[in-house]
Amino acid sequence: MMDDGTVADDTRATALTMVTLRIRRSPSEQIEFTVEAGRYTTIMDALEQVRGEQDRNLLYRHSCHHGSCGTCGMIANGERLLACTTRLRDLESPVLLEPLSPYPVIGDLAVDAAPLFRDFPADAGILRESETVPGAVPPPEVDAARGASVRDEVAGFTRFENCIECGLCESVCPVIGAPDRPFKGPAALAAYGRELEKHPERADELLAEVDTPDGVWACDRALQCSMVCPMEVYPARHIAVLQRAARERSGP
Amino acid sequence: MGSGGRTAAGRTAAGMRVVVIGGGGTGAAIAHDLTLRGLRCTLVERGELTSGTTGRHHGQLHSGARYAVGDEQIARECMNEVRILQVIAPGSIEMNHGLVLALTDEDAAYADRFQDACSAAGIPNRRIPVAEALTHEPAINPGARFAVIVPDGTLDAFRLPLRFFATARANGATIRSFTEVVGIEAAAGAVKAVRVWDHRRGVEETIPADVVINAAGPWSGQVAATAGVDLPITPAPGTMVAVRGRLCNMVISHLHPPGDGDIIVPQRRLSIIGSTQWETDDPDRIRTPERDIDWLIRRAADFVPSFTAQEFHAAWTAARPLAGRSHAGGRSLSRDLEVVGHKREGLANFYSVIGGKATVLRAMGEAVSNLVCGDLHLDLACTTATTPLLPHREYFRRAS
Repeated sequence: MMDDGTVADDTRATALTMVTLRIRRSPSEQIEFTVEAGRYTTIMDALEQVRGEQDRNLLYRHSCHHGSCGTCGMIANGERLLACTTRLRDLESPVLLEPLSPYPVIGDLAVDAAPLFRDFPADAGILRESETVPGAVPPPEVDAARGASVRDEVAGFTRFENCIECGLCESVCPVIGAPDRPFKGPAALAAYGRELEKHPERADELLAEVDTPDGVWACDRALQCSMVCPMEVYPARHIAVLQRAARERSGP
Repeated sequence: MGSGGRTAAGRTAAGMRVVVIGGGGTGAAIAHDLTLRGLRCTLVERGELTSGTTGRHHGQLHSGARYAVGDEQIARECMNEVRILQVIAPGSIEMNHGLVLALTDEDAAYADRFQDACSAAGIPNRRIPVAEALTHEPAINPGARFAVIVPDGTLDAFRLPLRFFATARANGATIRSFTEVVGIEAAAGAVKAVRVWDHRRGVEETIPADVVINAAGPWSGQVAATAGVDLPITPAPGTMVAVRGRLCNMVISHLHPPGDGDIIVPQRRLSIIGSTQWETDDPDRIRTPERDIDWLIRRAADFVPSFTAQEFHAAWTAARPLAGRSHAGGRSLSRDLEVVGHKREGLANFYSVIGGKATVLRAMGEAVSNLVCGDLHLDLACTTATTPLLPHREYFRRAS
């Protein structure tokens, strides 16, 4: 801030508004901060502002700041979302921030995401064919470079899988949240779904792992996972496809 | 590990306690390298891993073409590391190559020099007419004069470093996120221990160390200061903007000396333009300037005209750690890596790493580890160029 109370020139493009953040530090404690928000300011920008200027011990997870790493999932005004792609102007102030349940809390808004990864299929790759530019023909250099880095079945241009492993789908899932309902969860099962699409030859092995009471049959079809997913992975659709494939595999 | 793992004084590699400060790509690669050589590494990071500069990278895997005219050695190193990453990190790179576009007469006149420099650095390059470039990337500016294909690619700025952390941890390294350095203890000309605040447990702790490596990126000046060492470093923030829609598969860049807003990188179903650059003193108090966002979105149209009409997704800023101090334009500072041993300041076992690039993280780990092992008289070869990395999810699976 400048002496006269205005903000330095490089952020003055639009008028800044003051937004109140209420951060749940524990079930019984909330701490309140006021931040300056412009046209583009996100929840993550606000948290960085708080840590840089008001409370350097504030804990939260973050890495890419553009919805690619999946680390900053949290609950804002009751909604599960990515802090780095949610702008403050789209939220009602005060904004109540809570850590992403049901993961163990490290502190403040930071959670331990390890449980999310427990049931992913072993060796599931993160590369897929890229389909986003219709009609694009890769130059010969792309095919010549295939081998070490790209698995044989992926031809032409490649891209990373949609799922960013943010855990929002697990967080919103009523089965994951229920006591005594073991469930591999929508994120892991969506990864199984993608593996099956990419490797139909591995169907027996993949389906054997999810055709279980804690696999595709634990799903209650609440469909919350597909609705909350910021990357349009649609885990519930993958689960339905896996259920059908499992039924066909085990016969009538 | 053979007799090479023993120093003249009879100390073994396994007895060497190394503390690496900073959980970015550089720290990840150092911890991985030294752990493979048999040293006992503890890495501390104040927040989540890669929450500083590393994770906010736009994701371009550099063939080195961008640096070829200015610095043949860096360009050659990039190309070498691209080849190595394809071997040790299979599946973590979109090896879709890059199109370097000549937009103006000036660009076209620069092309011979650019291609000669690429060839001299061992970087394959091929000039193609714009009509041919449009078959590969229909969204590029059809008014371009021509394009040069180079072996650029895209990496996941979070998941690639995570593979280094996963492998280091599996080999015995201790990786501690949310663990912040609050002091460095020295006595008799050597660093003895690192004092940390463990945010998880809310306690202060002392970690004994035979070697301390400061790899805190733009924060390394602050870390060095806790040991009373003045480190010449310039945090240079730059803004990037992502729009919805993956408009290209190849990295699209400008056939021109490196400048602002001259790279478009596809990522998942986004397109990213990077970046601007300025300088700052405090990497914890950076805000993304709105005018940079608006300028980048307009600028992207020079390369990919439809970029500007896409739905806005995100804008963010990362502070590069540049070696040296500058009060002129940041881009004149070297982007190369500098490893500083603080022997001159009276701390023989304290090192700082400044600069570096995401593409060459493994090589940075090798350079630092070679220096440290050399000073310890440990004759241990680097094996990271041929050691496959574990998948990124193993980092979390092994923690649980």
